[in-house]
Amino acid sequence: MPPIIEISGLRKTYRRSFRQPHHALDGLDLEVAAGQVHGFLGPNGSGKTTTLRALLGLIRVDGGTMRVFGEEVPHRLPQVVSRIGAVVESPQFFKHFSGRLTLQLLAESAGLPKERVEAVLEQVGLREAAKASVKGYSLGMRQRLAVAQALLKQPQLLILDEPANGLDPAGIHHMRELLQWLAHEQGVTVVVSSHLLSEVQQLCDSMTIVSRGRRIVDGSVADIIAGHSGASLSVRVPDAGALPEAAEALKTAKAGVGAVVERDRLVVTGAPEPAWVTQTLAESGIYLSELVTQTKNLESVFLELTGTAPQPGQTVQIGQSVAVPQAAAQSAPAGAPIEAPVNAAPESGPEAEEAQR
Amino acid sequence: MNLFKAELRRIARRRLTLVFGILLLAGVAGLSIIMASISTKGPSEADLAAAQAQADEWNEQNPDFRDCVEDESYFEQNPNYSWVETDPEYEGMEHREACEYFVGGSRAQDYIWTYTFSFEDEAPFVIIGIVVVTGLVMMMLSSSAIGAEWSSGGMSNLMVWHPNRMRLWGTKLGAALTACAAAVVVLAVLAFGLLLAAAALRGEIGDLDGPWWEETLTYVLRTGVLALGMTVLGASLAMLGRHTAIAGGVIAGYLIIGDLIVQMVSMNLSMKFPERLSLYTWVGAWITGRVELQDWSSMTLESAGDVMVITWGEAGLLLGGIVLLFGVLATWSFQRRDAA
Ligand SMILES: Nc1ncnc2c1ncn2[C@@H]1O[C@H](COP(=O)(O)OP(=O)(O)OP(=O)(O)O)[C@@H](O)[C@H]1O
Ligand SMILES: [Mg+2]
Repeated sequence: MPPIIEISGLRKTYRRSFRQPHHALDGLDLEVAAGQVHGFLGPNGSGKTTTLRALLGLIRVDGGTMRVFGEEVPHRLPQVVSRIGAVVESPQFFKHFSGRLTLQLLAESAGLPKERVEAVLEQVGLREAAKASVKGYSLGMRQRLAVAQALLKQPQLLILDEPANGLDPAGIHHMRELLQWLAHEQGVTVVVSSHLLSEVQQLCDSMTIVSRGRRIVDGSVADIIAGHSGASLSVRVPDAGALPEAAEALKTAKAGVGAVVERDRLVVTGAPEPAWVTQTLAESGIYLSELVTQTKNLESVFLELTGTAPQPGQTVQIGQSVAVPQAAAQSAPAGAPIEAPVNAAPESGPEAEEAQR
Repeated sequence: MNLFKAELRRIARRRLTLVFGILLLAGVAGLSIIMASISTKGPSEADLAAAQAQADEWNEQNPDFRDCVEDESYFEQNPNYSWVETDPEYEGMEHREACEYFVGGSRAQDYIWTYTFSFEDEAPFVIIGIVVVTGLVMMMLSSSAIGAEWSSGGMSNLMVWHPNRMRLWGTKLGAALTACAAAVVVLAVLAFGLLLAAAALRGEIGDLDGPWWEETLTYVLRTGVLALGMTVLGASLAMLGRHTAIAGGVIAGYLIIGDLIVQMVSMNLSMKFPERLSLYTWVGAWITGRVELQDWSSMTLESAGDVMVITWGEAGLLLGGIVLLFGVLATWSFQRRDAA
């Protein structure tokens, strides 16, 4: 089955007077297969919302191609929009209308039956609050209304930009079940951008991670995590004062082994196997009280891949995530099949790329 | 069609629409009631008698008038009034009446004020005024409807539902124009009915013949078109500025600054017909059909000076051009610009 969403080489440049133009999207690629929940991740300002806006025809792009359901967008968007439901970054609604009226007007404008309004209100848990005006809604209630609005059309493709934003634990849980049900039972393709990585790990089948307007990696969630689980070991000893000595012993015993003291424990990387650590330390007269193999979670993989892992005493600034050269992205580990490079020469200007196509 | 109905409903469900709708209806009703209450078919006997008594009292204290009334040959004998005999106005006047007229005696009319509302003469102007106000209100409503949708973020959401921007804008404009036309028709008909009732009760209706109907309908129709143009202008400005306050500011700014410019130009530059810089002149010409501007600087004792005539056709071209310009700008900007 062809991908539901295919984006390649998408560019969006914000031109600012008296300043360098800002490349919000710098040759971004994205493929989403049918019937999956696809996570769209990246640090703040990496271009996720910009991509989704471009896909929905809200902004013009400076280059690249986008296809949804195999149709060229934004050109053919009017033909496919009835199959797409979307929430783009904390949507706002006219404040003085009630939640129900807001949905009714949208449903009427698209010729949808009135029953859909009640059905989605029920689905997102807004039945009781539906007659109050949006002005009095809390952040989470607005978010629910936005999701209700996206579900109204019974879409085949659901695009949600940070849907969990502001939801309470029950809401998040419910959202997860709803999205999984939609994708796995109803065959809806779901794209979610989110910063809640534990949530993404539980919810998504596949994902794309972007940084500075380019894709770093994509593929199934399990594969990406597995591909980066250069497992590390956590070591404790009865006397924490002996940790520096233990670190020294491990590092001198074998080249390529890393050992860092983290408060009352030692984090060892690059060791051949746990038994080697036990043996090496015992030889130096240090006996372990605990040895744990740490498997990586999505968060650490994300931080590593995007280069935004926190440094002590220093904040990672917006725009400091890794900048991938286009070629590097193609050979990303655990990557799902990626088509032939669209932009072989990332440094060449947009004109040169235009010519390549 | 679905979108059009939804847009009409969106306009109708706004609170501002409700408020202004009530205000306009109350205004028309209030105006008719005021007309009915100040209009009378003529003074009553008692009022007339009281006024006559008051006039007589004043005349008692006016020696010139007394002399005049007593002396039939007052005008011939008095050199100051010798011209009165030859004045055509004097012909056929009673002596007492002439005294009141030329010497300045008081009459009952001077102490009684009556106003009779004449539907034939006055109703068209009242109705035109109501339509103009309706147009202003619709301009505000349409600009606020679109401006509020932009600033609340509802517009981006609607654009996700309806990606064909030209169709969306056309539908919104169509809905605003329909609302405006409906408001103009309803209020004009209501004003017509209420004023007619007021005239029938306490004034005079007059002769509503064919030419009257023709003239009145032309005026009202042209004013209605003006109201539609204002609606388009308001919507276009809000579309350009993406905020109600910007559209409102531009309009208010023009209404104030625009006239200041006319004043300054007419004071500082020796320009002919400075009034033609004011939009009001052209709006006036559009409604009334024709405006004549006088060039005071070229006026001498012998000649009346140059006159510039603006017909409704010329005014229509200018005003239509302005509306079209902003409409096209708004369309272009909506088509091209990113939705934030
Ligand atoms: N209207 C705009 N004008 C100028 N720059 C913009 C505009 N919109 C977005 N950008 C820039 O584009 C870049 C990408 O923004 P975008 O909103 O897509 O980030 P994001 O990945 O959604 O981030 P977040 O996780 O914070 O939602 C940012 O650097 C931002 O500064
Ligand atoms: Mg975002």
